[in-house]
Amino acid sequence: MSATLQLRVPNRIEELPGVSEAVEALGQEERWAQDVTYAIVLSLEEVATNVVRHGGGEPGSSEIEIEVTSSDDEVRVEVRDDGRAFDPFHEAPEPDLDAAVEERQIGGLGVHFVKVLMDETSYSREGGRNHVTMVKRRS
Amino acid sequence: MNVQVENHDKVLVAKVEGRVDSSNSQDFERQLQGAIGEDVKAVVIDLGQLAYISSAGLRVVLLVAKTLGQRNVSISLCALSDPVQSVFEISGFNRIIQIYDSQADALAAAG
Repeated sequence: MSATLQLRVPNRIEELPGVSEAVEALGQEERWAQDVTYAIVLSLEEVATNVVRHGGGEPGSSEIEIEVTSSDDEVRVEVRDDGRAFDPFHEAPEPDLDAAVEERQIGGLGVHFVKVLMDETSYSREGGRNHVTMVKRRS
Repeated sequence: MNVQVENHDKVLVAKVEGRVDSSNSQDFERQLQGAIGEDVKAVVIDLGQLAYISSAGLRVVLLVAKTLGQRNVSISLCALSDPVQSVFEISGFNRIIQIYDSQADALAAAG
């Protein structure tokens, strides 16, 4: 069994809850485990939020393309945008997980979540567009 | 997302319901900061009804913890669901903010 969800949304933060809702609906239809759904919805929100905040364009000036493919053994998430080149998996700062509350820096956590929660992550720049791929195995 | 506030003597309990993500984390911060009065000695954030939180929401929890730390007000979290608990563990926040299984445990420790 396999199902694919394709979405194109303007690069605005307010669009992202609708994306989460659509992905959760796919997860229900495809009977994802609760932790798989959480990992995918969270990772997609973190990557898309980075695109909106750091892509460089005015909010609403471009589109983010999202494709989620669910099969029996894995869920594959692809995100494409035409913002400035940015590899979140290598260029985003690493959070210091051992810092005390006073020293702990705000931010840097989103990409860390994606790296920990997803089984595979990759980035490429193709034809002037960013392409992020994330894979979560279902068992 | 909604924040309900109860006062137990000088311990403030803030119950967070729903989802906290990048689209409503500023509202979450306003509601939480706005609820914490001057004479509070401890804050317990009850996450029992929180279905989802992303890094945008954790950023707010850290900001509030820092603000309270400067005022010597203690902060703790309680009643986290399994997925929410794992997000706090991955972030390392479980090592810098006290987390209790239930609101009763958190109140006993804060009182």
